[in-house]
Amino acid sequence: MLEFESTYRKPGNTLLGLVIGRDPFDFWAGRYYVGLWGAVSVGAALLGTFFLFFAVGQYGDWDLWRANIHPPLREYGLGVAPFAQGGAWQVVVVLASVSFIAWALREVDICRKLEMGFHVPIMFCFAISAWLSLQLVRPLLLGCWCEGFDLSFTGHLTWVSNTGFRYQNFYLNPFHAFAIVGFFLSAMVLAMHGSAILGSYNTAKDPVLEEANVDNFWRDYIGYSIGEYGIHWLGFWLAIYTLILSDLCILTSGPWIKDWVAFWQWHLPWFPQ
Amino acid sequence: MATVISGPALPPVQIPRPSYRDHNDSLGIRIGVPFRIGFLAKFGLDTQLGTLWLGTWGVASVMFFVAGVFVLIWAGISAMQGDVVSYVRYFANVQILPPNGLGMAPSLAAGGFWEINMILWAISVTCWAFRCWERLMRYNWRPYLFFAWVSAILLTTTIWVFRPIAMGTWAEAPGLGLNSDLDWAQNFSVLWGNLYYNPWHMLAIFFLFGSTMLWGMHGATILATSAEGSHHEVAEIKDMHSGSHKSMLFWRWVMGFNANPKTIHDWIWWFSVGVVVSSAIGIISTGWVTNDWYVWSVDHGIVEQYGPMTRSAINQRPNAVPLELPLYFPAPPGAVATTNGDKGVTK
Repeated sequence: MLEFESTYRKPGNTLLGLVIGRDPFDFWAGRYYVGLWGAVSVGAALLGTFFLFFAVGQYGDWDLWRANIHPPLREYGLGVAPFAQGGAWQVVVVLASVSFIAWALREVDICRKLEMGFHVPIMFCFAISAWLSLQLVRPLLLGCWCEGFDLSFTGHLTWVSNTGFRYQNFYLNPFHAFAIVGFFLSAMVLAMHGSAILGSYNTAKDPVLEEANVDNFWRDYIGYSIGEYGIHWLGFWLAIYTLILSDLCILTSGPWIKDWVAFWQWHLPWFPQ
Repeated sequence: MATVISGPALPPVQIPRPSYRDHNDSLGIRIGVPFRIGFLAKFGLDTQLGTLWLGTWGVASVMFFVAGVFVLIWAGISAMQGDVVSYVRYFANVQILPPNGLGMAPSLAAGGFWEINMILWAISVTCWAFRCWERLMRYNWRPYLFFAWVSAILLTTTIWVFRPIAMGTWAEAPGLGLNSDLDWAQNFSVLWGNLYYNPWHMLAIFFLFGSTMLWGMHGATILATSAEGSHHEVAEIKDMHSGSHKSMLFWRWVMGFNANPKTIHDWIWWFSVGVVVSSAIGIISTGWVTNDWYVWSVDHGIVEQYGPMTRSAINQRPNAVPLELPLYFPAPPGAVATTNGDKGVTK
């Protein structure tokens, strides 16, 4: 335990306790908080891992780079596939989704316990949305589980490559382009924030003056300082923006747009031809 | 919140320990009258705009950058035979392409514009690096920001300078233009096998997605605990309070590991720098370590061979393969060749 931890480790204030009045899962295991959702999440994850390795054993390739749990064959559509022909993928995807969602609820429990805002579980929900877009929503929209990506190291790389070329040129997908902008911007802003804190702490005797110096530095450097609260607001929304654009990027490819090159073959009616 | 979001705009806080640098720089002045945009306070953003430090390096950087933009526009208009309307209309498709070989381009249209642009912008970002260093030293900061900027320059020089030199022609570098960039990225990942199998590309994507993930985690954690002051990070590093305690305990209870107000910034700095450093290694090794990442991955047992592969044909590929830059769009009417030779011509 950290030296200040005992004052924060208080029982109660969990979601399960809120509903049924008591919470038999309300305890810590070592440094981890357990809770009902922790038990559900870890249970689903362990079960999924078991099925994953069981399927790898069935398929016979134990090479960790190449081992591939592939989605169901096209002929099974949105139905249930036999275990060796994509049923394993279905089981693992369902268990992983359960595990992720339970993990988000576990974060809600911990936020409630620490009496802090729910920003982290909200952010995690956006991350889960990327998984669900790829593995649940898009296959449903296209009417086939075979549209999901392979659970495999190189298999998912191959899937990304193939999916890009299937819609001609993925770089011409505007949502893809603006998602990449979000990714690179978040890396750049991250570097600026990390540099400002690591560069400036313990450089003055007075911490208040130090913080004023951070504002002054950015005003000198680029004419604007977003502020020590504002920079985290910016990072938070940059991450959400990037995830939403990523969702749109993959959800539009297939259900609505078959060809991102042809997508641009339009012109504004009032523009001179 | 230490961030002042109302009241009159304040002049910059005087920094004790005046620096000789201020007196050596004849352009070393703060310009502008600071003013406030109250609307920004709604989001918790600092409302003050200005002032801006001018400085010789900053002035030089902006001048070279603007000069580069002018050359770019000039090159674009001349590529459309002086037709400004066509230039605006086909702006996304107008591309300023590099010349063949490593020498001087034979004419402006045949890569000269590209070379002039590259030189101007290389000078501009270098001046900006000096500006960064000069400000950091003035504030007595550790030069993290300088090295982050230099590593970003490392990536761009790898793409536009080092790799073309290694491959023997400037034509390996991306052209200038919106779709020119995108086409270069598309061609680059196809021509060299499958770039997704490039391990440095894998690592770069890991860092890139990781950077966004870390912004999600760090930004959300600080916003969630800012009611207890966790966003005063510089002060919290020295003397932690309940906001930082909760931030740390949250992650400790969730995943069994936590950073602290100082080390989280180590993580985010190295992740963001990792993006550009591993990208640079991945770019320079493409065409040099191997000319086909698919073959490389099959050879190293990472990828299963999907089908017959004419290994001899692949192995006989010259190390420097000239890039063909196909246009994915109909060429604008009236466009003239923007480079010499047989490739990259906009018909």
